[in-house]
Amino acid sequence: MDSWAPRLAAVLLCVLPFAGSAAAAEKSTVKLGVVGPLTGPFAVMGEQWRQGIETYLAVHGDTVNGRKIEVIYRDTTGNPATAKQLTQELVTRDKVQFLGGYGLSPEANASASIVNSAKIPTFLFHVASPSSMPLSPYFVRVGQNIATNGAVSAQWALKSGKTKAYIAIADYGPGHDFAKGFREYYTSHGGEIVREDAIPLNTVDFSPFAERIDAAAPQYVSMFIPPGAPAVSMVKALAARGILAKTLVVGQGEAEDPDIHLFDGAVLNFHSVIYYSSTLETPENKRFVETLRTKFGPKALPSTFTLGGYDSMALIFKIVSEGEGDTTDGDKVMRSLVGYSYESPRGQVTIAPSRELIEDFIVRRVEKSGEGLRNVVIDTIPRVDPATFK
Amino acid sequence: MEQILSAALFVLLYGVSYGLVLFIIAIGLVITMGLMQIVNLAHGAFAAIGGYIAVSLMNAAGMPYLATLCAAVVMVVLLSFVLERLIYVRLYGASHLDQILMTLGVNFIVIGAITILFGPNVYPVKLPGFLQGSVDLGLRRFEVYRIFVICLGLAVVVCLWALFERTSFGAKLRAAVDNRSIAQVIGIDVDRLFLLAFGIGSGLAALGGAVGAAMLPLEPYYPMKYLMLVLVVVALSGYGNIRASLGVAIIVGLIDTAGRLLVPAFGGFVIYLLLILLTIWRPDGLFAGRAP
Repeated sequence: MDSWAPRLAAVLLCVLPFAGSAAAAEKSTVKLGVVGPLTGPFAVMGEQWRQGIETYLAVHGDTVNGRKIEVIYRDTTGNPATAKQLTQELVTRDKVQFLGGYGLSPEANASASIVNSAKIPTFLFHVASPSSMPLSPYFVRVGQNIATNGAVSAQWALKSGKTKAYIAIADYGPGHDFAKGFREYYTSHGGEIVREDAIPLNTVDFSPFAERIDAAAPQYVSMFIPPGAPAVSMVKALAARGILAKTLVVGQGEAEDPDIHLFDGAVLNFHSVIYYSSTLETPENKRFVETLRTKFGPKALPSTFTLGGYDSMALIFKIVSEGEGDTTDGDKVMRSLVGYSYESPRGQVTIAPSRELIEDFIVRRVEKSGEGLRNVVIDTIPRVDPATFK
Repeated sequence: MEQILSAALFVLLYGVSYGLVLFIIAIGLVITMGLMQIVNLAHGAFAAIGGYIAVSLMNAAGMPYLATLCAAVVMVVLLSFVLERLIYVRLYGASHLDQILMTLGVNFIVIGAITILFGPNVYPVKLPGFLQGSVDLGLRRFEVYRIFVICLGLAVVVCLWALFERTSFGAKLRAAVDNRSIAQVIGIDVDRLFLLAFGIGSGLAALGGAVGAAMLPLEPYYPMKYLMLVLVVVALSGYGNIRASLGVAIIVGLIDTAGRLLVPAFGGFVIYLLLILLTIWRPDGLFAGRAP
């Protein structure tokens, strides 16, 4: 029984180095928890986020200021209740310093209370609902406010001399937020809304809506349909009716560059107002697209989803690289972000006090290019501040 | 006046073409549910598989459109024979709940498989040249593709009618459905008959999925997404009433199209309102009273 002391010493000698290194790793590793749909009907979002994040890490390496960046993905399949639960797990068990992702506004909104109590800076990759930002002072919106998009679209319609607009939106929250933004700007600046349709989300055959739009003979069709099958069917119905060829039809993210091939050519001459196109000529964007292609194949193209992942990593790198890279104080981190400007692939952006981006909006048109159909930039609305652009 | 006429013609043409695609997909489920008493919720999966086979043969292998339709039907029929022997044969006589659980499981497996093979996004469909564009019907223009769908749907109707009413296979099948034991006693191989009927139903689903791909986009959730519409047709047709299902599918197509055109805000509900009213009024199926 007198041999316990050497045994204990031996055990401690074996274990202690690990304990030490584990503690060191915990201190030096920066963890980002990405919450959102990785499978299910919205899986495209998760797939493209991951490409954006990995592209950023491929450009800049996975270590900044001596600290390794670790990304933890959690799949919600699009369910807000799951998003909240996974957010909680990431905060309490994985002890993440940053959160990000959130494909649908309800996912972000449901998780806000956890984010607030843990004070974790949270990057909304593309959540666009006006309802989300007031819910948490730790939210940073890396995408756009959908109501701002509506107002920008309305301004561009009037600038193009189109004073009779038809609003066709999917009948759900973001659709109505968008329509409100468009309607308020358009009607208060002399435009006339000829009709407004809220298209049920369960619509299979969109030709009745194409028929209605055609009968009203508008000069401008402002639409908001979620990407995927509904957007494809709607655009095809508009094309079959000849509306895309003769009327300005303007959406946002219905036909992102990676999705254009889904439309089988029907999408030619489809316009969109948004903040990014893979065809932008900025040096940062060229590097973004090139790296994406070396990593994910020569035909890979980025979308606003991909950009959301990429730019959120840029902000995390900025926070960690500055000073001592203190990531423990959420309030301090948030203060350091406001007013910060950086070169995004979309051009220069600044984080406004509202924690939304002041960014350029662009008007794109689907045109034939050397690589098939692409969103080509035809106009730019510079430095749009969502707080004042109404 | 001309506007009203044009709208009426729109509802007629688009409603009928939409209804006929629903008919081609749903008729298989009407057969299996009515004749074989199997609640096959995986029926939409056969339509999805047919669609994916046809479109990938066209996209990747460059096969001509009509050949891809035939290939999709043949391959799905063969697949359905395998599945019938492996899975469905165990469900004959099982409770409806068991059947629902099993076939929903099949659905989820198919959804997962499609996601792995073709990705989570919509699978793009390109119509062949001879189906693109539209023709002038005097009052309005109409898509060639939809005319093709209408013709094909009517051809399916005629073939099915001939098969069930004019062949000994049809007579035997009707006999087996009416009274399985007596049919067996007089020497009809009921198992084989059901296998064939299941194959026909699945093949038609594949045809509907392949032909309708330009109208109902192919995506991993296809088997679930269109299940509701197919079930509406089945419910209103009544068990195994093939003739009724044609009428029901066309009515569903017409009402859905008219609803979305005239009252878009309620367009999503019109079809369910129809379902509620008709199931109260005619719980055994819309044309049940008139069926022999």
